[in-house]
Amino acid sequence: MVQYKLYYFNARGRAEFIRFIFAAAGQEYEEIGFEIEQWPEYKAKSPLGQAPFLEVVENGQTFQLGQSLTIARYLARKFDLAGKSAEEQAKAEMYADQVFDLLNEMVKVHFEKDITRKIEAANKLFTESIPNSLKVFDNKIAKNGSGYLVASGLTWADLFLADFLDRLREKKDILLSNAPAVKSLYEKVLDHPKVSKWIAKRPKTEKYLYQKPQNFD
Amino acid sequence: MVTYKLYYFNMKGRGELIRLLFAASGQKYEDFRIEKNDWPEYKAKSPFGQAPYLEITNGKKTMILSQSVAIGRYLARKFGFAGKGDEEQAMVDMYGDQISDLLNEFAKFMMEQDETKKQEIFQKLQNEIMPFHMKFFEAKLAQSKTGFFFDSGLTWIDLYLFNLLGLLGDQRNQLFEHFKAVKNLYDKVSEHGKIKAYLETRPETAM
Repeated sequence: MVQYKLYYFNARGRAEFIRFIFAAAGQEYEEIGFEIEQWPEYKAKSPLGQAPFLEVVENGQTFQLGQSLTIARYLARKFDLAGKSAEEQAKAEMYADQVFDLLNEMVKVHFEKDITRKIEAANKLFTESIPNSLKVFDNKIAKNGSGYLVASGLTWADLFLADFLDRLREKKDILLSNAPAVKSLYEKVLDHPKVSKWIAKRPKTEKYLYQKPQNFD
Repeated sequence: MVTYKLYYFNMKGRGELIRLLFAASGQKYEDFRIEKNDWPEYKAKSPFGQAPYLEITNGKKTMILSQSVAIGRYLARKFGFAGKGDEEQAMVDMYGDQISDLLNEFAKFMMEQDETKKQEIFQKLQNEIMPFHMKFFEAKLAQSKTGFFFDSGLTWIDLYLFNLLGLLGDQRNQLFEHFKAVKNLYDKVSEHGKIKAYLETRPETAM
């Protein structure tokens, strides 16, 4: 029997879409959460000096994985949420990489100290980057017939996209008004029987925790 | 029969990982290099308005993939350069994501227009970011019996790191002084059968 342990700060941040994957799969796991002050202790245990990280315990052997996307891809394959063919898998990864780029752009805006550059970058994010990607997603979803990003049904890429949209809070309403198929996908994920259970019981923190991108000591 | 057509600019950049994978596998493909002036036409054809993108044709069906690393992983799995088994594949992925992080930091430096900011980013890259990532790669590579990241043989991340080091130009010599196993990987990939032949014939580009 396999045991999963997810290590991350007490926040949604870069782990929430992984929690969505566990939820959609109906897979139990242990959540090991910590505050920023406790990070040095956990950093020492992590495979890459970063969080989130995953520990997989099977037959007395422990296997550690870092990098949120790697963890997501690994679990998605184990839980049959990766797509039903090599081609679908690649498409799901492509969509997820696109969402990841948007997320990184958002984090960059957050950390930009120069006000002029910050406003310019935020503008670009919300008037170009996000809408352009949403339009492409919208077309793909509309063509698929499944209501999800790939034709065979729900994949981890849908969960990642839904989590990303969550972060936009009230800004997403106007963005989704121009992407009706994405809006439907977002609602489908939130209404998914197992995911909705997680959403109902997850900690009510709204914290996304934009911790510093890297800790270089 | 499956045919492949890669669309990218006449440079190494984010497309070269894909070219290296085709080279390592011996799989034929069309290496289409987009002229800068023609980009708007090809941008419109690409899934997300970005390059590289790969057109895969199987009989009547055509699929277009973008995101260089998604393409990389897809081809790596097809050609046997993804690692052996789910757990090793995930470990390969993890190092791959680290290399992507580093590449993105390098890209930030390359794209910065403001000279002052550019210098600032360069210093951070050279003094903090590069060493931080190289240390991890060095630690893994130093354990290797084959000189590649994983003992099972060449995987796409060996090619990915090799390409990144290639983009650094002469700067890499400084890194090689401190990171011997990384240098060893660079040399090993350069000498690897089909890769060596490819390197001798590929177009010379600065980036």
